[in-house]
Amino acid sequence: MSDTILAAERVTKRFPGVTANDAVTLEIHRGEIHCLLGENGAGKTTLADIFYGVYRPDEGTLRLNGEVLDLHTPRDAIAAGIGMVHQHFELVPPMSVVENVVIGTGARQWLDLSGVRRRMEEFFRDYDVRIDPDAEVGRLSVGEQQWVEIFKTLYFGVEILILDEPTAALTPQGVEHLFRILRRMRDGGLTIILITHKLNEVMELSDRVTVLRGGAVVDTVRTAEVTSRELARMMVGREVLFRLDKERYQPGEPVLEADEIHLESDTGRGSLKGLSLTARAGEIVGVAGVSGNGQNALFDALVGVRHPASGTIRIGGESTHDKPASRIARLGLASVPADRIRQGLLMDFRVKENLILGLHRRAPIARRGLLDQGAVNDFADESIAGFEIKTPSASHPTRTLSGGNLQKIILARELSGKPKLLVVHQPTRGLDIAASEYVRQRLVEERDRGAAVILISEDLDEILQLSDRVAVMYDGRIISVAARDQVTRESVGLNMAGVETDGSASGEGPS
Amino acid sequence: MTAPAPSGGGQPGDVASRLLQPGAGWRLEKRLHVRPWHELAALLAALVAAATIIGILVSATGYQPWESLGALYNGAFGSRRAALETLVQATPLILTGLAAAIAFRAGVWNIGAEGQFFAGAIGAWWVYDVWGGLPAPLSFIVMFAAAALAGAAWASIAGGLLVRYQTNEILTTVMLNFVILYILSYLLAGPWQAPGTPYYQTERMADVFFLPRFTSDSRLHWGFAIALLAAAAVYFLIRRTTLGYEIRGVGSNVTASRYKGIRVGMVTLAVMAISGAIAGVAGAGELLGLHHRLQLDIAVGVGFTGIIIALVARLHPLGVIVTAIAFGALLNGSTAMQYETGIPRALVDVIEGITLTLVLAAAVACRYRVRRTARDG
Repeated sequence: MSDTILAAERVTKRFPGVTANDAVTLEIHRGEIHCLLGENGAGKTTLADIFYGVYRPDEGTLRLNGEVLDLHTPRDAIAAGIGMVHQHFELVPPMSVVENVVIGTGARQWLDLSGVRRRMEEFFRDYDVRIDPDAEVGRLSVGEQQWVEIFKTLYFGVEILILDEPTAALTPQGVEHLFRILRRMRDGGLTIILITHKLNEVMELSDRVTVLRGGAVVDTVRTAEVTSRELARMMVGREVLFRLDKERYQPGEPVLEADEIHLESDTGRGSLKGLSLTARAGEIVGVAGVSGNGQNALFDALVGVRHPASGTIRIGGESTHDKPASRIARLGLASVPADRIRQGLLMDFRVKENLILGLHRRAPIARRGLLDQGAVNDFADESIAGFEIKTPSASHPTRTLSGGNLQKIILARELSGKPKLLVVHQPTRGLDIAASEYVRQRLVEERDRGAAVILISEDLDEILQLSDRVAVMYDGRIISVAARDQVTRESVGLNMAGVETDGSASGEGPS
Repeated sequence: MTAPAPSGGGQPGDVASRLLQPGAGWRLEKRLHVRPWHELAALLAALVAAATIIGILVSATGYQPWESLGALYNGAFGSRRAALETLVQATPLILTGLAAAIAFRAGVWNIGAEGQFFAGAIGAWWVYDVWGGLPAPLSFIVMFAAAALAGAAWASIAGGLLVRYQTNEILTTVMLNFVILYILSYLLAGPWQAPGTPYYQTERMADVFFLPRFTSDSRLHWGFAIALLAAAAVYFLIRRTTLGYEIRGVGSNVTASRYKGIRVGMVTLAVMAISGAIAGVAGAGELLGLHHRLQLDIAVGVGFTGIIIALVARLHPLGVIVTAIAFGALLNGSTAMQYETGIPRALVDVIEGITLTLVLAAAVACRYRVRRTARDG
């Protein structure tokens, strides 16, 4: 059974300033589900991209069935029987499912639309996936689009399927469905390589797992012979604590009251359609949901970048209606955006200049329209020490810092004013375990201090770990709110798929 | 495609580094840190390359390259008089360079410094025309203030359209250049035309309104000092004030600026007005310091040259001074070269173009390095 189909021998890939893969040696067995486990930046995706012909290794060799494999493009990889589904899909939204598959087959004289349709219908029937082959891809959900990508790849007749973080945009039920089908595909002879940083997925699905850290292979082990704790240690390189210190739940006065807000999004998807949400002092309200259900609009509306067409938002009893974002911030609001590089930081600026962004018009940073350099430097030094920001100096360019340190800059800045309301969106996305732990602990400290915290996240584990109350967002509304101990992964998952559970709205929700 | 997240710096998927990746041997790689000596080395290499190409070009057209170069240098810096004349040429360029630099810092593409320059000159002349009786020191202040206001107002038309209707400011500022020229033509052919002459120009100002000169043997006037002061003021504005911080913030990342409460529209309006005011001051400086009468050719492309100067100087106010003097030298020296060697003006333009292209290319090139890669089997 342990017959090696694909192997990497001392594969090294360097990018400017970083060695993404360092002498990686690895064997994939025919007909197994093999996980590549590692933190962000461990080199998982680079390795998979090398298998898929996106990058050529600087050193080392690939072997397929024992033969040296020299790939120049993904086309070569597909011809060799290796397919990959990236995290960001390569689909044409205005075209139908069938048309999307046909495009991938390359230039031919005649388009075999009906043949493709027949094959896709077979796939969908065999694997119990309900998608109309003639549906416009842009109208499908993210989960459905992923199925289209997977079956498109299978249509090319690949023997090895590589999936990069395929569960990122799925509900728990969606993940279960995916895993069930992946197992069936494996049993049918397909070899599957799955990239993930989630331990529970590795434990549940894989036959073997290779752990990568800092671009190098830590070890390859049979999943049945390890515990998730051991895997975590291999992945991080030290013991990991899965516990947060959290004080007793003592909610105070409502700080945020959002009532029936409507906000049209520019793209049509992700509008707010009568969203109501309350957060009290001293609690973390988790807002769960599959991405694209209005999370961005909710964040923008609360921060004041866009104003709701109707409905009211009150912070500390004061309406934010038509107030500019800078005035709303003065009501005691702080925020951590989902896309820290685009929405939160000025990457060309120095670290200290980013630490004062948003505070730059207030004393003591500014006096009569002038920046007080002494105050800026003092504030920067304090922040860098207080938040353990790793930077050569306060004047260093922000661009060169790691994701975790970028997030610490934002946190230092946002928490400096002791906010009454803290709105965070995907606060640990792309961060390694240590940085994620740090961010989560800080959020809990803010709650313990008495701040109301709105945690908008697509990471259900994070929501369940941190929240005092769990709200679920679906199609622009909050369709359920309940105390943390009243919900389970499964009940939240059902809500995320749009199922409104009985009584959920009556218990804790705003009236 | 997802980047494998190296901490910070160049993305592996970076287009340039992937396109320029030959099969074997060498490859181009983005630098993580560009240090000043990289920039300096690239600049020197560009100048050497430019000199070589120009030398070949000059000899190919039948002139003596060394002799021509000598004439160029002598014309620009060869004597005290020549050097001072170089500064005279640089004076309006420093100001229009600053005008472009500050707008570009905010990501606002004000291409209309030429028009704002004329608006300023018109404003200054209008003060002279209406309040011709003001005593000298006061008259300078009022005329320069009027020029700054007129330049700001002219630029603010484009600024307002941009903020209110998202009209592309590159188009509006360029089109407004034409509008102001037609307004000026009307004034010079009509109400302000010097009586009894057929020329499109005003009468000469009374001597007391001339900006004083620094020396009796050159045309260098107070306008040069004003330009230096303006550069210092722009530097201070950008580095030390909250408005300057916001200008740079908007130029660096509009989205993040908006999320952190910066009023992007207000900053855009402000920077447009400031940029226009600086260009307007340039117009008054040339009028009062050099020409002493309003005519259509008091500025020949100074607005556009200012854009190039700002870009070569990397939008740095002090760099603008140095670059503007270099351009002034080229202008001044090339005139002398033309006299002495007979090289046609058109060739001088070609020389300027080659130099500029290479200098700008150097600014990009220094962000990369060439690396030898091991060939694998």
